[in-house]
Amino acid sequence: MIDCRAIKKTFHMGSASLEALRGVDLLVKAGEFISIMGPSGSGKSTLMNIIGCLDTPSAGTYDLDGRAVAGMSFDQLAEVRNRKIGFVFQNFNLLPYATAAENIELPMLFNGKSARQRRRRVEELLQQVGLLEWRQHRPSELSGGQQQRIAIARALANDPPILLADEPTGNLDSQSGEEIMAIFSGLWRQGHTVIMVTHDAGVAAHSQRTVSLLDGRVVT
Amino acid sequence: MALKLLPFYLGEFKKRRRKTALITFAIAWGSLSILLLMSFGRGLSTQFRVAFRGLGDNLVMLSGGQSSVVYQGLPKGRRLRLYAADIALLRATIPEIEFICAESYNNEAISANGKETNRNVHGVGPLFDLMRSQVPAAGGRFLNPDDERHSRRVAFLGWKVAENLFGAEPPVGRQIMINRTPFTVVGVLKEKMQDSMYQGPDAEQVYVPFATYAQVNSQPYVDRIHIQPRSREVSLRVEERARAVLGRKYRFDSADKYALNAWNTIRDAEEVGKIFSGIEIFLTMIGALTLLIAAVGVTNLMYALAKERTREIGIKLAMGARRRHIVTQFVLETAFIFFQGILWGVLLAFNIVSLVRTIPLNYDNFGIESYLTRPVFSLDILLLFLTIMGALVFMAGIFPAVRASRLNPVEALRYE
Ligand SMILES: Nc1ncnc2c1ncn2[C@@H]1O[C@H](COP(=O)(O)OP(=O)(O)OP(=O)(O)O)[C@@H](O)[C@H]1O
Ligand SMILES: [Mg+2]
Repeated sequence: MIDCRAIKKTFHMGSASLEALRGVDLLVKAGEFISIMGPSGSGKSTLMNIIGCLDTPSAGTYDLDGRAVAGMSFDQLAEVRNRKIGFVFQNFNLLPYATAAENIELPMLFNGKSARQRRRRVEELLQQVGLLEWRQHRPSELSGGQQQRIAIARALANDPPILLADEPTGNLDSQSGEEIMAIFSGLWRQGHTVIMVTHDAGVAAHSQRTVSLLDGRVVT
Repeated sequence: MALKLLPFYLGEFKKRRRKTALITFAIAWGSLSILLLMSFGRGLSTQFRVAFRGLGDNLVMLSGGQSSVVYQGLPKGRRLRLYAADIALLRATIPEIEFICAESYNNEAISANGKETNRNVHGVGPLFDLMRSQVPAAGGRFLNPDDERHSRRVAFLGWKVAENLFGAEPPVGRQIMINRTPFTVVGVLKEKMQDSMYQGPDAEQVYVPFATYAQVNSQPYVDRIHIQPRSREVSLRVEERARAVLGRKYRFDSADKYALNAWNTIRDAEEVGKIFSGIEIFLTMIGALTLLIAAVGVTNLMYALAKERTREIGIKLAMGARRRHIVTQFVLETAFIFFQGILWGVLLAFNIVSLVRTIPLNYDNFGIESYLTRPVFSLDILLLFLTIMGALVFMAGIFPAVRASRLNPVEALRYE
């Protein structure tokens, strides 16, 4: 399903350039739960962004469901992000001015779902993450754990097969972190493919297998 | 269709209204200033033209003078008089004349209603009212051709004369004595602005039919002959021809401006026109410079506002927003902001102009306020303003939209 081969990513900052990924191979089958670990700066987020089609590799190939991502246009990538991938960030990345319900609705706005469909799905998801009574609250009125649950609900809005989470528990206390991990485990059991970046071996223990990065390379 | 998301865009715009309020206010303020500048500028020049036309529009007024050069052996300093017969001569020889009439005047003792005063009484020919902007106030009329034909003893009063003699009472139908001869008042001049005159403002004059005047006043010549040319374009030609015709008849050099005075309002109007062109260019320049500053300020504010949204754009892109969703939102937001600001500016300007126009004019003593209290907010001003604002909207909206369209998701999400 996810097939990365010899992925390289180089960042150019003025005259200096930085090789964040130096040839990464990664194969993830549908329904797998994978954790990615590695020290800070090893390229975990960079790899996640590429898998999530937020960024494109400088070299190497990435096939998603048998289609080469390299040839896709900006809007085609947007469509992939919209339908196939749910992204959960360490810092939640919720729209600060929008309510919980409006944040969850966001991905559905970009694929032509009717207002009625959107409302029903938002309701469903709020229920699923146990925040129905918080639907009209803004992110600033929610705890970190609650915000991350809203972010997960948002990632699920279009029911994508793949969930990508970049240190989803990194900003949370251990109690909230446990709750979030329970949600991800549940989603995996329901059939989602889950790829998660973490620093925490306890968190990684929830996954089927762990990929370790060091200086932009996979180490095993 | 991207417009399916209009409720979403509107919703986001509403939530962010506090942030856009400053820009809206700036646009409203700028619009108001520009519109008032244009309206008051237009009103100023309109009022000058109105006042100028208080005397008459497209009028050549002839009166006799004294020759200042020797001509065909005749000495200079000869007095030239015009006679009623000249009217037929001029009409016969100059086809470009539309209307022509004579006027004579003399200071007479006038009494009515137990009051006495001295005023210029003018004998005027038919159509004098058309040529000299003599509009009767409601309830009265000007002298008509029947009055002339039958030498009726009827009089038309300037409004200050009427006020003087009759106070608040209606003068129409009342009798006045002019030099101990009774006349019936048929009308009173409607109040008007007038900034040029020969025997004082029309408000202070008394008019009677020329034929009637000739009976009570034995003066053989006429004081003035008024000519209205067929069009403004032939005005100077008519004046020239009148000089030639009369020069031949009375034997003076037609180039001698002192022998025959010809007051041509078209020539004056051209002078005034130049002054107002100057004033309007000046105001337009001030407006343009003000707008330029405003445009730079607003563009800057819009850009800052757009930058502030970089992270939001990153989030939306990560959630699958297409480029058109982002750009449409920016374009619409710019449109909303400007629409609100412009609407406020236009409404305020319209109301201020309307309010100022209700300030009553004092026709007896019109000073600078008569020129400043009649701003004009016309359609062409609105259209010019909207055109300029259109350019401004484009300028202020294009940079943020282009920047937004070039953002890539990762960079946008990393933006602080
Ligand atoms: N957009 C960018 N421009 C320039 N350099 C970047 C960019 N993104 C990442 N880098 C650099 O690439 C390297 C890898 O970054 P990355 O964010 O992938 O690390 P990470 O493993 O996620 O680290 P952390 O655990 O701190 O999140 C780092 O040195 C980082 O500074
Ligand atoms: Mg990272």
